Amino acid sequence: MTKVVIIDADDGICSRVIGPTGAEHRRLANKVMEEALEQANLSFDQVSYLVATGYGRMNVPFADRQVTELTCHARGVASIFPSVRVAIDIGGQDAKGLKIRDGRLVDFVMNDKCAAGTGRFLEVIADALGLRMEELGGISSKSTSKVEISSTCTIFAQQEVISRLSEGVALADIIAGLHDAIASRTVRMVRRLKIEPDVVFTGGVAKNMGVVNALRENLECEVFVPEEPLLTGAIGAALLGKELTLQALAKGEPIQRKERRLEEATFFNTRS
Amino acid sequence: MSESKGLTRAKEIYQDRPRRVKELKAEGRKVIGYLCIYPVLEMITALDLVPYRILGDIREPITKADACLPTVVCPFVRSCLDLGLKGKYDFLDGVAMAHVCDVGEKAAHIWHIYLNPPYFHFIDTPHTIHKAAQKQHKELLKDFQRTLESFVGKKLSPGRLKEAIEAHNQQRALVRELYELRKPDPPLISGTETLQVMVALMSIPVEEGNELLRQVISEVKQRKDGLQKKPRLLVWGSIIDDIALIELIESAGANVVMDDTCVGSRAYFPDVKLTDDPLDGLAYRYLVELKCPRTFREGVFGETKKDYIKDLESRFSYLKDYAREWNAEGIIVQAMRYCDTHGYEVPGVKDYFNHLGLPNTYLELDYTEAALAPLRTRVQALLEVMG
Repeated sequence: MTKVVIIDADDGICSRVIGPTGAEHRRLANKVMEEALEQANLSFDQVSYLVATGYGRMNVPFADRQVTELTCHARGVASIFPSVRVAIDIGGQDAKGLKIRDGRLVDFVMNDKCAAGTGRFLEVIADALGLRMEELGGISSKSTSKVEISSTCTIFAQQEVISRLSEGVALADIIAGLHDAIASRTVRMVRRLKIEPDVVFTGGVAKNMGVVNALRENLECEVFVPEEPLLTGAIGAALLGKELTLQALAKGEPIQRKERRLEEATFFNTRS
Repeated sequence: MSESKGLTRAKEIYQDRPRRVKELKAEGRKVIGYLCIYPVLEMITALDLVPYRILGDIREPITKADACLPTVVCPFVRSCLDLGLKGKYDFLDGVAMAHVCDVGEKAAHIWHIYLNPPYFHFIDTPHTIHKAAQKQHKELLKDFQRTLESFVGKKLSPGRLKEAIEAHNQQRALVRELYELRKPDPPLISGTETLQVMVALMSIPVEEGNELLRQVISEVKQRKDGLQKKPRLLVWGSIIDDIALIELIESAGANVVMDDTCVGSRAYFPDVKLTDDPLDGLAYRYLVELKCPRTFREGVFGETKKDYIKDLESRFSYLKDYAREWNAEGIIVQAMRYCDTHGYEVPGVKDYFNHLGLPNTYLELDYTEAALAPLRTRVQALLEVMG
């Protein structure tokens, strides 16, 4: 997914847009940017600073600066939950654990090598079961005794789910097992950071109450979820952009900006 | 940035490692390949043989080794064996390997069976540094000497061995001098260039290596248009024998100013003490003073549990010295995928750097060039953490 957040001088959100990324990163970056400007009723020139983050951060030709999603997520989460110490982000591409102190990222762990333990894991299995991602949370809430699903490999887990179904195990119990598998795998990784409360959970998977509850069980503590868990990275990028602008102004330095132009897509060209 | 003749020569050797030893072979010299840093190079040099480090190739897909080693073991050792099976080490007249780790041992055995070089020796290097282990190590080195002597058909004279120790110590002193040039800010030589020099040293005879080092040092010292000031990083880890990773780190906006890896300071910093019986100095250096995690150490024998930080201090305080002397502001903790040896050490090393207040991040290498890209985000995030 590609997201845009535009903030004003008082950190108020002027617009927020979420769109599917697809194969043409650059075209989508242009499209969501146009939409965001329209929503905020701004011209492109009125945007003081633009930070791009995430996997596609090099594919936003009009960004003034690229910052990793780890730093941006930490900043975004801390702006919503100032007492956060550990943030867990599970998205479609990867799973991350962030250690945050006084609103700043101090350490991190990351799984971006294997689909198991990411949102992709749930997507693949939901698809095999003919379900939509949004349905999983509700179905798992009806579980009475969740089954154990191994979390080491998405493809094997999918086979495991099918063989459980053929054994006659209730769908709710299987899905609760899947949620537990993804939560326990993530917690094992994040424990390397030495988990302290408050814990905040973000990313697309945080929209699934089944996984939120499984995380609470695995961590044995409260897990907070922002109202829009997909946007914390974009919010953090916007806040960092504001900070960089104010720093430059305070020092009387010129602000290094790219040309504010929405160019036509240049397919898969990663060098900007 | 001006490239010195020495650095150009180092780069040429790095890009075509076997060329020089093949020339020497044509002149009648014999070449002994060695795996990891435990076979004693001085003995090889003293018998007029050329030691040549066996390294892998991250750019060459592993296709043959999987028939004789499991895929879930050290990809570096798999790559070395794969190159051997493809005939790329056929120019070696002999091979010396050691019980560096379990995979290293098995690979040595397989190398012996499948490739059967004219000379083969396996040193059963102990894994602790206790007195009994040191004594045993000396005995094992006597065996190594005997098999080398019978391979070349002459006795090793103590005088010749002493000369070889001096030549290798000279190389170690020159490497330490080269590393001094990484201390200024900005450093005079990049991590990438340093690694090319280190790989070159492991591909040519010791005297030629010393000459190369002298040239590189004198030229790099004169550099006026050197590197730019950037955040200074220390890389701790297992084997890094290809510049791709260091280039990735440096292109993400850092200078790699110090390393503790075995194609770097770990292999070169400790000298061999000249003892009455040269074997005492050699046995001590190659077991006790080489600080690879393959050798188990604890603070005070049997007292690990009493004081964790004290234990970490006694195992890793040299890393604190490196970080201070080279003014490293952040640390890359690197390990090869499936490397139990380094994997075991990673939590302790990270705890120690956290205790010192040095930001650090862990990178796991798959030993393929393609798998490097995702690591860039981790390096950039570390630089952002460092601020």
